[in-house]
Amino acid sequence: MKISISRQNIYLLIVSIFLLIFVLLFSFLVLIPEGKEYREKRATLIKEQRSLREYQNFHDETLEFLKELQSENRAIITAFDKSFNSVKFEKQYKSYFSSLSVSKIPQITKEDEFSVYEVNTTSQISSPKSFYEFLDAINKSDWIVGVNFPIEFIREGELIKSSFSIKVYSNAKDSNKSL
Amino acid sequence: MKFSYIKPRKKSVFTPEFKLLFTFFSITIFMLVSTYLFLLFKDYRFDADKKEIMQNRSDLNISINQMKEQIQFIDIQTLLSEKIYTQNSVLKESITNLFDLVPDRITLSKASLLENGLILYGITPNKDVYNFMLQAPLRSIFHKTYSSFYPAENGWFRFVSTNYIQDESLNLNEVNEEEIEDED
Repeated sequence: MKISISRQNIYLLIVSIFLLIFVLLFSFLVLIPEGKEYREKRATLIKEQRSLREYQNFHDETLEFLKELQSENRAIITAFDKSFNSVKFEKQYKSYFSSLSVSKIPQITKEDEFSVYEVNTTSQISSPKSFYEFLDAINKSDWIVGVNFPIEFIREGELIKSSFSIKVYSNAKDSNKSL
Repeated sequence: MKFSYIKPRKKSVFTPEFKLLFTFFSITIFMLVSTYLFLLFKDYRFDADKKEIMQNRSDLNISINQMKEQIQFIDIQTLLSEKIYTQNSVLKESITNLFDLVPDRITLSKASLLENGLILYGITPNKDVYNFMLQAPLRSIFHKTYSSFYPAENGWFRFVSTNYIQDESLNLNEVNEEEIEDED
């Protein structure tokens, strides 16, 4: 039995085999590795997106906490930001004394991140009660003020002359942490 | 020998079968290449997205660190202010207790409150009143108490009472604590 194949059919067969080989090679050498890479990259991206979401949530929580903290301590933060004004101080606290004079010592010391002004005050009070009221009021001051030793009370007739120093704390100027 | 009377047609390689086969493979190759290009595009997008995510993460990280610093700084401010406010309140209590300590029969002319001590100047009708009514409570508060007397014009005694606490960590604020203990 003789099988006769025409020349066209032979061409057809050769082209078919060639194209089939091309398709197979392209699929196995290019497309499938690329598909694997695609899958890996997609998995990595999903992981990164999840991680970013967690980061974003943590960021939002921290921001919320910071805002809460800032609003809770608004008075303290503002007081630390404010620079000391002796005239205003005298004006604010004069009512507790018969007379009050404040003299700022130019020397400024630094305690951690804060500048500390030392201010000497001399005053006259009619009774120690005025001084107690002053100590109560100073905790609600526009500045962070601590009454410092030594404190002297000298009787002068009907009045008591008191002299004491106060320390005023404020944020250091070179600190970049002002809020 | 046989002859054909029809005109011979020119034979071409592009037979209908070949065209069919070519079309089939063309479509197949087109689909494969399209898929490949799609994957390439997606890979490019993934890379771009990943880069963006990394940038966002880095920005968030910087922002979180800044916020943490701010929180830490506010905590320091709050702690310091609370410490100062407490010191002021304790000082007030100490001074209140000090003046309460002085009996009515003794008149103070000067009081110096030091970080680790107290110096009182005053006038007393006699030494016993001073010793029992002022020196005794002062002695229970301070580690070292020195007193000196000078006769006054009216027959009373002027006195200077110097009181110190040995341990520097203790201060006048102990007046307050001692008072509370005495009351108990």
